[in-house]
Amino acid sequence: MKRFLMLGLLCWAELISAGAYAATQNFTLYIDAGTLTINGAGGTVIDVLSFSDGGMAMTSVPGPALSVSEGDAVNVTVVNRHTASHNFVVSGVSTDATAIAAGASRTYSFSAPAAGAYVYADTLNNNINREMGLYGALLVRPAGGGNTAWTGGPAYDFERLWVMGEMDKPRWNDMVAAGGTVNTSIYKPNYFTMNGLGGFDAMMDMGVMLHGAVGQTALVHIVNGGQFAHALHFHANHFKVIAINGVRQSEPFQERDTFSVPPFSTAEVLYTLNKPGDYPMHVHTAQMETANGVYLNGAATMIMAQ
Amino acid sequence: MKHTHKNILNPALLSLLLSAAVPVQAATINKTFCVSQTSKSLSGQSVTFWGYSDCGGGGMGGGGMGGMGSATIPGPLIEIGAGDTLNLSLNVGMMTPQEPSPYNGHTIHLHGADVMTSEDGTPETNGNVVNGDTYTWAPLANEAGSYPYHCHVHTVKHLEMGMYGAVVVRPRDAAGAFMKRITANAATAYDYEQVYVLSTVDPAYHTATMDSTVFGDYNAKYFLIGGKEGKTTSAPAMTLAAAKSKKAAFRLIGMHSTNATFGIKDSAGNLKPFTVYVEDGRALPTARTATSVDLSPGQRADLIVTLPSTTGTWYPQVTYKNLRDGGPLGTVFGKVTF
Repeated sequence: MKRFLMLGLLCWAELISAGAYAATQNFTLYIDAGTLTINGAGGTVIDVLSFSDGGMAMTSVPGPALSVSEGDAVNVTVVNRHTASHNFVVSGVSTDATAIAAGASRTYSFSAPAAGAYVYADTLNNNINREMGLYGALLVRPAGGGNTAWTGGPAYDFERLWVMGEMDKPRWNDMVAAGGTVNTSIYKPNYFTMNGLGGFDAMMDMGVMLHGAVGQTALVHIVNGGQFAHALHFHANHFKVIAINGVRQSEPFQERDTFSVPPFSTAEVLYTLNKPGDYPMHVHTAQMETANGVYLNGAATMIMAQ
Repeated sequence: MKHTHKNILNPALLSLLLSAAVPVQAATINKTFCVSQTSKSLSGQSVTFWGYSDCGGGGMGGGGMGGMGSATIPGPLIEIGAGDTLNLSLNVGMMTPQEPSPYNGHTIHLHGADVMTSEDGTPETNGNVVNGDTYTWAPLANEAGSYPYHCHVHTVKHLEMGMYGAVVVRPRDAAGAFMKRITANAATAYDYEQVYVLSTVDPAYHTATMDSTVFGDYNAKYFLIGGKEGKTTSAPAMTLAAAKSKKAAFRLIGMHSTNATFGIKDSAGNLKPFTVYVEDGRALPTARTATSVDLSPGQRADLIVTLPSTTGTWYPQVTYKNLRDGGPLGTVFGKVTF
């Protein structure tokens, strides 16, 4: 059952892992230009840059989730197939921010920190590279494995990774694609995504939705790759905030129904499906519920319990 | 959708279990709201709002046509006891201001209330209608605190239009009276109370309708507490005349669409410490003493400050901040004299 639910997570994106108990974890990420399609009313095609695993799709916003275990030696080789310089930094974890020239590659090495969710990105170019889509999640598992948030920590039945993002298409993405200069002092994102999906898709995506049986508990890793704070509001019941930026909160955990994840940071919550029915989960901030103004195609998904 | 579903956990039974020493006298509270249009002058500019009003009294039957009553921004304060049952009806009729389909009609979403789908007021989910309904909520004994309610139809517009208000869930004493406490815990006792509903206004959202690109770009221009601007300490949005050495509770309810930070300053500008007991309607495992508390859209905090033993004036205040880097957008002042 647990393995089956893990596969549910694998469905949403290219979660890549080099083996649960290996002491060394090697990943290769490729940087390319491409496009991201927001489906549904208000949707569009946005020029992006992304980290991908080099598969057929070529682009992946967000980048692949890198899954490792506590204490692993992690080597991330980044192949820069784009025409500008880029880098790879795990916020609060890795320290090597060296740029990779166009056409070159570099291996970034770091030790996997305490179990939890972390955000990685290209930190160059005054946030423009990250805004273009060069961000993703590092998930660190407890050294002993098992369905607990950390060794001896709270247990869960299934998990979700929600990588939040937003893009200012006219002023940033279109400008970069046209070879122009972005005025970074103005940022008015008009597309808001969970795992690269607008609400139209995310509200029926099995890898994003919280769906399960009443009584099951979801561990939700919330990773904000964007530049706006995302205030996530869960309908139906409260959740426990167990970690912020990988830092464990003390028990008993505080219960909330809305939690704000600041830009380029993470939070982890435990949400128990305590009653049957369908309920939304959405960012509780005006324009962030929309795709360029079209309602509910923004940062939103569904909670479904049977 | 009255009583079509009940919480899986029997609220009355749980209330007894959680407060076995205190017999709770639960009440059933019925209210009826209508929606009407109003306008406010904000920094000299007239802005159109839609708001709720209580139209259930006086044998008027709630006004079958809808659109009756005079809306306030925020809407009426709803006070209920933990363990009570609230039946909150909404009248929507031909005269009710609204948008065309698919964003026609209105609902009331009891934000933070752990209710079944049918009571949730979210039109995209099963069992919720937009032409009038009754929303039932029986908060448990451990759910005392502050909550917002708001319309969940085309929320990006309807909430911004002013369709929001506060629910305060109060502990009841053995005789069934509301206690002047945030929770049943005696440490949360207070003498005075102020409900601060935080909101922001982008006037462009008030004139745009339907799927407009206006709703993809929020530019907060006016900043409110309790529907008032309170731009200076000499023209505060909220005032409280209190006695020295007493305790004042502040109930902060975030219906804004920016970030915000609350603090209390004395007349010399020094931040004064307060203690937060409840956030989002749940008691903190350990009460937190601080000189500021951040509120994102949708969040709440219930806190208590002890006033000094000498006469003076303090200025509780909310600084609204942008979502990108927390830079200040505007500050709204309250005032407490003692």
